Amino acid sequence: MTAPRPSPQESLGDLTELPTVTFGHRSLMWWGTLGFMVIEGWTLALIAAMYFYVRQNFLDWPPMRTPLPSLPIPTIGLAVMLVSIVPQILADRASRRLDLGGVKLWLLISSLISLVIPVLRWYELWSLNVRWDSNAYGSAAWLLVATHATLLLLDVSDTVGITLFYWFRRMPIKAMSDVADNSFYWYFMALIWVPIYLIVYVGPYVF
Amino acid sequence: MRRGTWLLLFAIGCAGSQSVLDPAGPPNRSLNHLFWAMLIVASVIWIAVVVAAFWAALSRRRITREDLEPIITVPNEEHRRHTGIVTGLVGATIVILLLFLVYDFTVGRALAERPSRTLTIEIIGHQWWWEVHYVDPDPSKIVVDANELHIPAGEPVQVKLSSRDVIHSFWVPNLIGKRDLIPGYTSSLFLNADRAGVYRAQCAEFCGTEHAKMALPVVVHSRNDFAAWLSEARAPAAVPNDSSARDGRQVFLAGPCSSCHAITGEPAYGTVGPNLTHLASRKTLGAGTLPNTRGNLGGWVVDPQSIKPGVRMPSNQLAAKDLRNLLDYLQTLK
Amino acid sequence: MTDPIRRLPPNESAVAAPGVLPGARPTTLSDEVVLADAAALELTWADKPGLWGWLTAVDHKTIAKRYIFTAFLMFIAGGIEAALMRMQLSRPENTLIGPDRYNQLFTVHGTTMMFLFAVPIMTAMGLYFVPLMVGARSIAFPRLNAFGYYTYLMGVLFMYVSLFINMGPDAGWTSYPPLSGPQFSPGHRIDVWAQVVTFTEIAALAAAVNIIVTTFKMRAPGMSLNRIPLFVWAQVTVAFMIIFAMPAVATASTLQLASDRAVGTHWFNPSEGGDALLWQHIFWFFGHPEVYIIFLPALGFITSIVETFSRRRVFGYTAIVLANITTGFFAFGLWVHHMFATPIPELGQSLFTAASMVIAVPTGVQIFCWLVTMFSGRPRLTTAMLFILGFFFTFVNGGLTGVMLASVAFDKQVHDTFFVVAHFHYVLLGGGVMPLFAAFYFWFPKVTGRMLSETLGRWHAWLFIVGINVAFFPMHFLGLNGMPRRVYTYLAETGWGPLNELATIGAVIAVLGVAVFIVNAAISWRGGLFAGANPWDSYGLEWATPSPAPSYNFVNTPVVLGRHPLWDTGSPLPVVTGLRTDRREVLVTTTFDAQPDSRHKHPTGSIWPLVLALVMAELWIGSIFTPWAVLGGLGLTLLGMLGWGLQSVREQDVERVDTGAEIVEAA
Repeated sequence: MTAPRPSPQESLGDLTELPTVTFGHRSLMWWGTLGFMVIEGWTLALIAAMYFYVRQNFLDWPPMRTPLPSLPIPTIGLAVMLVSIVPQILADRASRRLDLGGVKLWLLISSLISLVIPVLRWYELWSLNVRWDSNAYGSAAWLLVATHATLLLLDVSDTVGITLFYWFRRMPIKAMSDVADNSFYWYFMALIWVPIYLIVYVGPYVF
Repeated sequence: MRRGTWLLLFAIGCAGSQSVLDPAGPPNRSLNHLFWAMLIVASVIWIAVVVAAFWAALSRRRITREDLEPIITVPNEEHRRHTGIVTGLVGATIVILLLFLVYDFTVGRALAERPSRTLTIEIIGHQWWWEVHYVDPDPSKIVVDANELHIPAGEPVQVKLSSRDVIHSFWVPNLIGKRDLIPGYTSSLFLNADRAGVYRAQCAEFCGTEHAKMALPVVVHSRNDFAAWLSEARAPAAVPNDSSARDGRQVFLAGPCSSCHAITGEPAYGTVGPNLTHLASRKTLGAGTLPNTRGNLGGWVVDPQSIKPGVRMPSNQLAAKDLRNLLDYLQTLK
Repeated sequence: MTDPIRRLPPNESAVAAPGVLPGARPTTLSDEVVLADAAALELTWADKPGLWGWLTAVDHKTIAKRYIFTAFLMFIAGGIEAALMRMQLSRPENTLIGPDRYNQLFTVHGTTMMFLFAVPIMTAMGLYFVPLMVGARSIAFPRLNAFGYYTYLMGVLFMYVSLFINMGPDAGWTSYPPLSGPQFSPGHRIDVWAQVVTFTEIAALAAAVNIIVTTFKMRAPGMSLNRIPLFVWAQVTVAFMIIFAMPAVATASTLQLASDRAVGTHWFNPSEGGDALLWQHIFWFFGHPEVYIIFLPALGFITSIVETFSRRRVFGYTAIVLANITTGFFAFGLWVHHMFATPIPELGQSLFTAASMVIAVPTGVQIFCWLVTMFSGRPRLTTAMLFILGFFFTFVNGGLTGVMLASVAFDKQVHDTFFVVAHFHYVLLGGGVMPLFAAFYFWFPKVTGRMLSETLGRWHAWLFIVGINVAFFPMHFLGLNGMPRRVYTYLAETGWGPLNELATIGAVIAVLGVAVFIVNAAISWRGGLFAGANPWDSYGLEWATPSPAPSYNFVNTPVVLGRHPLWDTGSPLPVVTGLRTDRREVLVTTTFDAQPDSRHKHPTGSIWPLVLALVMAELWIGSIFTPWAVLGGLGLTLLGMLGWGLQSVREQDVERVDTGAEIVEAA
């Protein structure tokens, strides 16, 4: 073995000037959020694949004596979902400007909209017009909508939680980056709902 | 003695009535050629890699101070030589795999050939027994049997497989690879035997408590013997002459037996358990669990749970005389 | 001052030369400054003392040690189950264990070894060493890491409590419906299986995200992508595989099987349009990659060990990286070869045969690279190397039977028989456990500061390698001879008795080998020779810090100038300074070139990971008995998240915020 050489350690640079709060892909949390988006998106994609797999076992879709899903409430839900992206974008931008007032305002509006969504989701589930235990079609449709709903519920809690923190506590400046990441995640939850809506609610009319 | 047995088993491969390596039909014979070819090539590769690894690790154990200095830069020429070696080995691997692939496809194509007209037998899997139907366009000629399969030699037989409960797998190692019985699916398999004999099949997909005791003797007859067997099997059960057997028949029909078991030609229609019309002619009891002797049959009727714990058949407390009569009757069911 | 570059290979010097930060000038650090920093860092980074500190610990090494310890206990538990099964099978019609108990044993054995031992211990090795090997102070998300461990621990406890109250799952580690469905498996045994799987999936996903982010964003300056150690490449590949494989089994077990059982959905019920084969597709879409999730980290161990003991940098770095990635991709294209006996179209089967054979190529590439490395190096036969030879002897055998099994015709014969049992034990024990033991001998000094005894190590290696081969080689014959797997007994007339007895003898030998290891580890933990920082004169960054590694990993972040830092540059490595010592701070670098980009505040110890894991355990375990537990659990989960969040935002600090346009000092 080589004997430890008593030569002194050399520094090739000093890091003190580096920033300690960064936004987007320069922050660790953004990457973690991205990781969970991939996991959740993939899970939803797998469930969608199984929805189509089960479809092969039926001649009609929805199966005989099962009504088609109702469209009005789910379509309103989709619209609200898409609209909710706007205040999130504004909160995201405000956070990057370190604009505390803007962050508080747009988070509040985001929270209010996001609280409507679970209520709508409840009626969206029943708009499927089938129970999960009626047949495999019902199981597939319910699982796809309910899984998204569960993830959404966590995201709503996240948004509402961070809003409450901002209104009732003095937040560290670092949390601005978390606001941006929360919006990032919200875009994902809102946008992935579009294909799910098309598959589950519009799909039975088409295939 | 015991060591002798092991050596013998290694020496003769795995000959036997439940062995892949003792083919009793053309499909398995061609598979055996594929198997031995792959095995020999694989063995050569294995020995070569192991020898190389041991050689590399053991051949240069000079421990001097200089030897311990890590090698960071390798001369270009040496590096090129190593690249050549690895590329060559990878190329050889690919060639060998391609050969395997081509050979496998050839064998696979041969095995997948569908004979045009064949005898069809339906096998339905149950937890933990086999229901066997010998299909015939004439309903009166359909034979329903259980836990034993009879086929002719020299003639392909189509076996249609389905399951009433969980997934089972039908596998006669001497004849051909297995096929799963999956609820909601019907699949089929061609058996092609050319050597008469009794081969043992056994459920190969875990199917619950008694998966281990779900076997199926497969009897390969010569063509003539099979025809004779089949026509005999088409006959319904007759009311026995013997008085004790007649009393036994009453025990069967009046007691709990007939609620689960059927006997063709008798008012016993149960479908929970195996059809018993030909019970006495079977080689085994409890789906290949026990040799079919009178003593074993008595033990099975009285206390199947101690023989095959978990089996769906309950214990039966019968008076000694009733049991004797019942056994007399069951033994007439040829 | 001598040139810090001792022996830099010519083809790698392009990226990140000295002067890592623009305009910075090399300075010499005095020992006093380094020692003072070390003392300050210890105060900042060490887990708190006492019980509270134990429960709130988030140091990645602490958590990984618990992971490894728990997973190794699971290896012992699974081994005991295996030994019991071997006892039962040693004679025909043995009555030692009845079918009901036996079916629980083999199910719990398989589930334990796959979900509670192999995957956790392989990822735990990554959780311990990836931050050290990339020169980071810590792991990216330490609280998530702790949460993952506790979730896994809940799964372990749930599984074994269930087994002891006769509620152990009994439908095989694959739990095929309809056997595992509500109709044929009433009671809660299968629910236990489904939820244990969920626990371990969550844990594996948490570990995967952590390993990926740590590797991509927290590498030491200069460690560009083409300098990442092969161990870390293997871990990253596996982390990506986990991200795409685990959701499949989580969906199948938690969302489909459990809901079929609990609320009457019809995923696997053919009479209502469900499909029993659907399960097999999803399960094996996860299940086949799972094998490589266990195997690839082991390949990472092998590279490190072969390089160090051959005294030669590995031949074919790029080839090995590409082989890893190729294996990771192809692993997802093989699942149907577990289903050749099912009624699926034959054309599809041929494609999967081809894919199953092709995957042998990247593994071959790695094996050939190691052979060349050993041939052109000067190998030292330490215990770790002995296990590597065990790997060659055992794994290559299993790999070749694997190629044979790709043949549809042959697979249909031996599928679900002891031939397959032999095959996958050769692959997993030879390709997973033997390299793992090699890794234990290699890295034990880094974790404990002490050497394992090489004498006992040789006993361990020989007993284990011989025992495993004696136990599993005869099973090839048993399978060809018709013995199906998962049988609790067999008739004497089958003639399977003698070979089964031989296999049992082999199992006893292997158990003795593991016993020797346990004794070795117990003695050496406190009484082994002191290791020093780099006992094997290896090259990785993990050897550039004292053994055991301090809580902050490195006093100053090392700078990497080649693939083999300690061999290329010599010790001590050049460093960068300036991370704060009075609060936990990690260095974030750019994804490709690992140029310093920012300093990030790092979380401190927290009780919330444990609380949240307990709450989630309540949710999943409760859901077995009533679906309402899900609602209650969700409510508690939200509370737990609130607590977690409150703790995160409590500390105020002056930060340097980079808004993209400017850097602002703010609090």
